[in-house]
Amino acid sequence: MTDSLSADDAASALAAVDLGRRRMIDQVGLPSWYWAGLALGWVVLGVLADAGHPVLSAVATVLFGAAHATIAPRVLDGRHRTRRVAVRADLVSRRVPLLVVSFLVAVSALTVAAALATHADGARHPATLASVAAAAVILLGGPQLLAVVRRRAVRELSAA
Amino acid sequence: MSAARFDEVIHPSTRLAVVSLLAAGDWVDFGFVRDELGLSDSALSKQLATLEEAGYLVLERVTNERRRRVRVRLTPAGRTAFEGHVAALREMVGRAGLRTG
Repeated sequence: MTDSLSADDAASALAAVDLGRRRMIDQVGLPSWYWAGLALGWVVLGVLADAGHPVLSAVATVLFGAAHATIAPRVLDGRHRTRRVAVRADLVSRRVPLLVVSFLVAVSALTVAAALATHADGARHPATLASVAAAAVILLGGPQLLAVVRRRAVRELSAA
Repeated sequence: MSAARFDEVIHPSTRLAVVSLLAAGDWVDFGFVRDELGLSDSALSKQLATLEEAGYLVLERVTNERRRRVRVRLTPAGRTAFEGHVAALREMVGRAGLRTG
């Protein structure tokens, strides 16, 4: 068989192998429900912060943190965006969890800064406003962050 | 890195496309492979049966949210055969001085 196979045929076969990897790289990411849940939780915490019940707000924050700590280890590696595939670890950057956590830390800082700014400006519900803005950043920016990871993985594949 | 070894079972284009997908995953849902490669259920089942007979993959039936799904997973032998096949193809291309990708 190898005798009858031309180098062009072999190159075409390798292109098919490459395409398979690219298709799987397209699956790298975090589930959409993760971003949606995070954004929703953010808004709920913002509303509670404005509601004037510090104990309730503290309990909700702890619960939110605990829920995230439970879910995050299962999804933050970026290999289980859908329930249809588990991408091989060697196709996904090991820095995805750090990248996502850094993004969330930045969004947290942004939320606090936005809440302080709107409060100083006399807004009636500064935490709510800030959390809604942060939720929008999460919903739009989170998936975009993973899109950058995918593009980089494809570039590395092409360079290999 | 596996030794270069051309694999007759893997090489046919549809099977190569299937194994290339599987090799990039820990497991892949049957429906995902079918949809990505534009195959019918029966056409894919036939290819998977050939690969399963060769000991290159296993089919796992799982229940997810009350739905039964079939996951496909390469065996270590299947992964070694695939890597050897890719190495053999690279050697052929390298000998001819072609560029890929």
